[in-house]
Amino acid sequence: MRIVVEKLEVWYNSTPALRNASFEVGGGEMAFVIGPNGSGKSTLLKTIASIVKPRAGAVYIDGKALSRFSPRELGKLIAHADPHVSTSIPSTVFEFLLTARYPHQSALSFSIPRQDLEVVDEVSRQLNVSHLLNRRLDQLSSGELQRVLLARAFVQRPKVLLLDEPSAFLDLRYRLEVLDYVRRSVEESGIACLVAIHDLYLASLYADKVIVMNGGEIVAAGAKEEVLKEDLLEEVYQVRVSLLDVNGRKVAVPLEPMERAKL
Amino acid sequence: MATPLYERKVKYFLIFFTSFVALTIFAFTLSLSIGPSMLDPVKVFKVVFLKPFGYAEEKMVEVIAELRVVRALASLFCGASLALAGLLMQTTTRNPLADPYIFGLSSTALTLVALGILLAPDFMVHKAWVIAVSFLGAMSGYALTLLLSKLGGGGSMAMVLAGIAVASLFSGVSHVLLYLVQQMTKTPYVYLLMGSASTVLERDLQFLAFPSATLAALTLALFKPLNAYLYGDEYAKQLGFSPALTRNAASLIAALLTAITIAFVGIVGFVGLIAPHVARFLAGSDHRFSIPLTALVGAFVTLVADIFVKLTSMLARGVGELPLGVVTSIIGAPFLAYVVVKRVKRK
Repeated sequence: MRIVVEKLEVWYNSTPALRNASFEVGGGEMAFVIGPNGSGKSTLLKTIASIVKPRAGAVYIDGKALSRFSPRELGKLIAHADPHVSTSIPSTVFEFLLTARYPHQSALSFSIPRQDLEVVDEVSRQLNVSHLLNRRLDQLSSGELQRVLLARAFVQRPKVLLLDEPSAFLDLRYRLEVLDYVRRSVEESGIACLVAIHDLYLASLYADKVIVMNGGEIVAAGAKEEVLKEDLLEEVYQVRVSLLDVNGRKVAVPLEPMERAKL
Repeated sequence: MATPLYERKVKYFLIFFTSFVALTIFAFTLSLSIGPSMLDPVKVFKVVFLKPFGYAEEKMVEVIAELRVVRALASLFCGASLALAGLLMQTTTRNPLADPYIFGLSSTALTLVALGILLAPDFMVHKAWVIAVSFLGAMSGYALTLLLSKLGGGGSMAMVLAGIAVASLFSGVSHVLLYLVQQMTKTPYVYLLMGSASTVLERDLQFLAFPSATLAALTLALFKPLNAYLYGDEYAKQLGFSPALTRNAASLIAALLTAITIAFVGIVGFVGLIAPHVARFLAGSDHRFSIPLTALVGAFVTLVADIFVKLTSMLARGVGELPLGVVTSIIGAPFLAYVVVKRVKRK
């Protein structure tokens, strides 16, 4: 799988959210999208997931334009782990995870194939949510819900994986475990993966490629050693940043804001 | 872990489904047995359900049961229709308080029907037209409530309050219209205000039974989009289902189901609120299971309410019958209170 994004432009009503975004992500590759709030990270992911329609430009998956896939094919191909899930009608984790297999089933079949149950089983064991299967979504802690949302994306068995803030609400151990798991699955199944994230440390640990966004534009994209530079990060985030050597890796550490907030 | 979990879910569903089928058959038989001349329920059961297998009963039992079967079937189908309408509305608004009565659909539908009778006094005879008009009313009521709630912030409580505003206004209007009708044509259509299954005619039953059965089948066919829709618009879209299409189709079916019940028995509130909650409590939120169970629970509750109506009219002779909607309100309103309290507490 290879995603090619070409000159993407997205507007919400009359405000531009994304301008002239172009880059590529190959199969088995993890690209981390970083940038301040409102810089267009989520919009970029949603456009690739076909949730938001671009005003100009196109996304190609293995050379085929996104708009030429049927919704069903896209459902088989792309999983977008979104932090927003409605829980107002009570429903269990198990029921939620089962819906992720729908793109792979025919629309009217009532029985659930055994292999679909096995996928749910496998993924929920690997992400350590199998003890939650019988719990209600609205009764989970934020961290548990986050893992369930990630598990859902993997149950879909996608070829393109889009993760929006996968480390939010997770404790130290799960942050590493979850991204480790993503890394392994991406490599094993040749998934093209895009991760929007605020944690620069995790980006410097797991990224193959880093895309830096600011004000709806991509300001830099490339290998993490080239992109994660002090001056660039300082300019984008308006925060003093220092690069430390940890275990032979360059790790970006935020120090202090460039301007004190006038609160 | 997942496979035994799923098998257990299916097993529980089958248990609850068969028990509600049994309960509904029991209530149905009881409903046929109760009336000015009391019949032996066992005999009635044999006449109705075992006749194809060669059981014969006294002619008298058979005739009386046949006379009462229309009313029982009317409450059964109306109950199932209202329950399904409630479930569809709860899913599409993602609001566990939705119900055709609470959201004002019933009252606006009745207002248009009353207007129709006023303009053409023989209107009620043409059932297909009544259903069409009542459907228009239900759709506009639903649209009005959703619009009002959007203006009021779109929260689940805003939706309920908007529904109450619409329901109160149009139940008042339909009251006035039906009193005018009564004065003009000397026909007691006022019963429609609180519902009654006793006036349904045998020849009209087909307009009730076939459409509601078809719509129920259609609802069941939508179970996958509905399941995906439950977790959010963007989520459904991602799995390849159009959220707008799902919402519109489900709302249309819900309005049609409501319209059918209004055309035959009038306003019967709260069945659409209670039944989906009971079904989800027993079988979970998966529509594959909750749709059939909701329909059954709705049918059972309405049958029982109608039995209660019959019994009270026999105990208190001379005052006529209690409306069906009064009984369901007495059961349903405390239930509404319970759901409200449970939700507010959690927030």
